[in-house]
Amino acid sequence: MSVAELKERHMAATETVNSLRDRLRQQRLLLLDTDVAGYARSQGKTPVTFGPTDLVCCRTLQGHTGKVHSLDWTPERNRIVSASQDGRLIVWNALTSQKTHAIKLPCAWVMTCAFSPNGQSVACGGLDSMCSIFNLNTQTDNDGSMPVSRMLSGHKGYVSSCQYVPDEDTHLITASGDHTCVLWDITTGLRTSVFGGEFQSGHTSDVVSVSINGSNSRMFVSGSCDSTARLWDTRVASRAVRTFHGHEGDVNTVKFFPDGNRFGTGSDDGTCRLFDIRTGHQLQVYNQPHGDNEAPHVTSIAFSISGRLLFAGYTNGDCYVWDTLLAQVVLDLGSLQNSHDGRISCLGLSADGSALCTGSWDTNLKTTSVDK
Amino acid sequence: MQTGSSGEVRSVVGATDTRGKHRISAELKRLEQETRFLEEEFEQLEKLERASASCKELLINIETRPDPLLPVTNGPVNPTWDRWFEGPQESSGCR
Repeated sequence: MSVAELKERHMAATETVNSLRDRLRQQRLLLLDTDVAGYARSQGKTPVTFGPTDLVCCRTLQGHTGKVHSLDWTPERNRIVSASQDGRLIVWNALTSQKTHAIKLPCAWVMTCAFSPNGQSVACGGLDSMCSIFNLNTQTDNDGSMPVSRMLSGHKGYVSSCQYVPDEDTHLITASGDHTCVLWDITTGLRTSVFGGEFQSGHTSDVVSVSINGSNSRMFVSGSCDSTARLWDTRVASRAVRTFHGHEGDVNTVKFFPDGNRFGTGSDDGTCRLFDIRTGHQLQVYNQPHGDNEAPHVTSIAFSISGRLLFAGYTNGDCYVWDTLLAQVVLDLGSLQNSHDGRISCLGLSADGSALCTGSWDTNLKTTSVDK
Repeated sequence: MQTGSSGEVRSVVGATDTRGKHRISAELKRLEQETRFLEEEFEQLEKLERASASCKELLINIETRPDPLLPVTNGPVNPTWDRWFEGPQESSGCR
């Protein structure tokens, strides 16, 4: 076939794909008989109300000298690892505010960190395109350097996000600027599977967030600068189970809903959304109108342990508490006394759901809880 | 192919396109594969339940789980939720 003929077929195929996508979108709209808020209102539900002293900042963790980019809690409740522009990982006991480790990283440009399920190791990644694993039982030098216990290399772009597979200290998933996600075997340092990439169907731009299903750890969701979120089955690397369209900008953050059948997203388009994994439906948009000003971007999200609350951090320092059911903002943590002085870059819930930790460009982490 | 913000695929194949035969052929294969995936999705759409069914399940799941960060929640309440407001443990001191 000549190049000219190939080009013609290419243009025709493009039209077919676009037309099919349009038709799918129309058909899906017919199935969207309600959104979550509409349904909840029809059941007589009213928004959660917080009194002025309910949700309060109970700890400020100070120690980083640069913007905090990422944080993760241990499964056993009280410890947090954080990664900062200052080139360090700090491990905190969030209850006592003490630092148990301050690790100086070989590559200062760290973007993400994660705690292993057994709490004995931490993983981090960033502009070095690698994911480094540190065993917390190892001693650090006087300047805080610690030997890396395993280096996971293979990505051809920055590592934006990483998470250990729940209950598996030997496997983790990374998301990368090279448009792929990778499932790693830490014991061998090798890639078990690559999701997407040049020769497979996957994201068409940087992948910046990943979340593994706590109820079924074979499923994970990824968020990308291609404006989509994709659901993957770790046994099938060749294609995503489903692609979720809707956002009109980079999907910066994805998080599974506690029941494992839905997930939330946050985007540069200023909205958060809730999607259903089995049907693919977009169940709700969480959008706060901002008048003529451009809406601030969503940087990070987390659900409370029942899923009733959706916490969302924004580029302008706001940290909205959304009532997930009624799609209303019930509190802005950014307007409370003692709140962060800058953008919220990351947030996460403790394992028992009793505290929310937020990390900020103001170099601090803060934990927030309900004072009953 | 490139994907725009609305998910639309734009063909970058045009008169000034100088990419070789192999690249265009590979992209064509990907488009044909995408077409098959979309057609499969279309078939599945017939059997798909409406959004209201998911919303109903969501509501039930949310309301049955105790949540320490809600001002009012179903039990059982775990006393360790309050550990963030308990004072530091001192080995000796006036009590």
